[in-house]
Amino acid sequence: MATVSFRAAQSANKRKTFLLLGAMGALTWLVLLSIFTYLGTSSAAIVPFAVGLTLISVWASYYGSDKLVLTMTGAKQIQESDNPKLFGLIQEITIASGLPMPKVAIVEDSAPNAFATGRNPEHALIAFTTGILDAMDRDQLQGVIAHEMAHVGNRDTLVSAVAATTAGAIALISDMLMRIMFFGGGRRDRDNNGNPLMLVVSLVVLILAPIAAVMLKSAISRKRESLADATAVAFTRNPAGLRSALEVLAADSTVVHQKSTAVAHIWIESPLDGSSVSKMFASHPPIQERIATLRAMESLS
Amino acid sequence: MKTTLIVGGIAVLLIIFFVAQYNRLIRLNVAVDEAFAQIEVQLKRRADLIPNLVETVKGYAAHEQSTFDAVITARAKATTAISVADVSAADGMMTQALRGLLAVAEAYPDLKASANFMSLQEELSTTENKVAFSRQFYNDNVRLLNTAVKTIPTNFFAGFAKVAEREFYEVDEATNRNAPNVSF
Repeated sequence: MATVSFRAAQSANKRKTFLLLGAMGALTWLVLLSIFTYLGTSSAAIVPFAVGLTLISVWASYYGSDKLVLTMTGAKQIQESDNPKLFGLIQEITIASGLPMPKVAIVEDSAPNAFATGRNPEHALIAFTTGILDAMDRDQLQGVIAHEMAHVGNRDTLVSAVAATTAGAIALISDMLMRIMFFGGGRRDRDNNGNPLMLVVSLVVLILAPIAAVMLKSAISRKRESLADATAVAFTRNPAGLRSALEVLAADSTVVHQKSTAVAHIWIESPLDGSSVSKMFASHPPIQERIATLRAMESLS
Repeated sequence: MKTTLIVGGIAVLLIIFFVAQYNRLIRLNVAVDEAFAQIEVQLKRRADLIPNLVETVKGYAAHEQSTFDAVITARAKATTAISVADVSAADGMMTQALRGLLAVAEAYPDLKASANFMSLQEELSTTENKVAFSRQFYNDNVRLLNTAVKTIPTNFFAGFAKVAEREFYEVDEATNRNAPNVSF
C-alpha cells in the first residue's frame, strides 16, 4: 500500500462504500429481473413481502441497536464515577470530533475488544471489554476510542443496517423461490417469455444472489472498518496510538466468548476465528493490513 | 405563459441556491464560534486545576517559589484573555509553566508517589489533551470557513453574510520563540 494521508484514505473509503452500495442496488435489480423472467410478473407479490419482512426485522434492531446490543453482548452501562479515566479519554475524542458524548458500557470479558452502536450520534453507545481496559495504555485506548467514535460519526450502524436489509431480502426471496420450485409451483405463464437461455441465466442469478449479497455486505463492512481507522487518525492525529493498539489485539489470541455472528461485525477486532472464515466473507480487513496502512500514515507526519 | 413559468422556475432555483450558500457560510461561522468557546471551556478547566496542583506540590517542595509564581502569573493572564491571539498566547505560557511545575515534581519521589498527585496528574493530562483537541477542532473549523470564504461560489456571498476569514489558533511555544543566546 502506498503512503496515504488520512484525508485521502477517508475519501477513498467513502467512495468505495458508495460503489459497493451501488453494486448492492444493482444486484437487487438483477434479482428482481430474474424473478420476473422466471416466474412471471404474477408472482412478483413475494418481493414486497420479503422486503417488508426484512425491513421490519432489521430496522427494529437498528432503531433499538443501543439497547439490543447491550443485552446480546452482556454489556453493562457505566457512569462517569465508575471510571473517570475512561470517561476523560472519551471526552477528549468528543472534543476532537465534535460528536456528542456517547453512552459507555463495559463487557466482563478478558479478551481485549470494543464496539460502537446506536442509530445516530445522539443515541450512540460504545462498549469496552474489561480485557481491553487492562491491556492498553493511554495512547492505545485513545486510538481505540477514536476508532469507535469514528463508527458513530460515520453512521456505520445505518450503513450496515442498509446492507443487512438488502442482503436479508435477497436471501429471503431466493429461499422462497427455491421452495416454490420444490413444491412444483413456478412458472405458470410459460408462453410470455420463452427464451430458455434467459430462464437458465435467471435461475443461476437467483441461486448465486444470496452468496453475492453476503460477500457485498462483508466488503462494505471491511471498507467501513478502514474508513473508521482513517477517521480515527483525523480525530487524534496520532496514527501510532491506534496502530500499537491493533498490534496488541493482533498479538492477543483470546477472543470474546460470545461468538454470535449476528453481532460479530460491530467489534473493533473480529471475534470470529480468522482461519475458518475466508477473506471474502470477513467483516474486517486483515489486522496486519490495517497496521500497515496506519504505519504509512505515521511516516507522513 | 410558458416563458413566465420558465423565468419563475429559474428565479426559484436561484433563490434556493442563494439561501443555501448564505446558510452554509453562517453555519461555518457559528461552528468556529462554538469551537472557540470549547477551547475557552477547556482552558478554564485547566486553570481550575492549578490551585489544587500548586498546593499539592508545595506540600513537598515548598522552596520552588519561582516555579509556583510562573504558574500563578500564567493563570492570571489566561483568565483575563479574550481575543484569539491573547488567549493563545496565555495558553502557551500556561503550558510552559505547567511543564515546569511537573518537571519540579519529578525531583520529589514522595510527591510523585502520593495518590493525590497521581490523580491530579491524570486529570491534568486528560485536560491537556482536551485543550489540544479543542484547538485542533477549532483550527479544522477555521480551515473549512476560510476555504469557503475564498472559493467559488461561497466567496460571492461572504460580504453579504458578513462572514470573513478567521484567525487560526496558534500556540506560542515560548521555548520555540526564545532561541538561546549564543555569545562568542
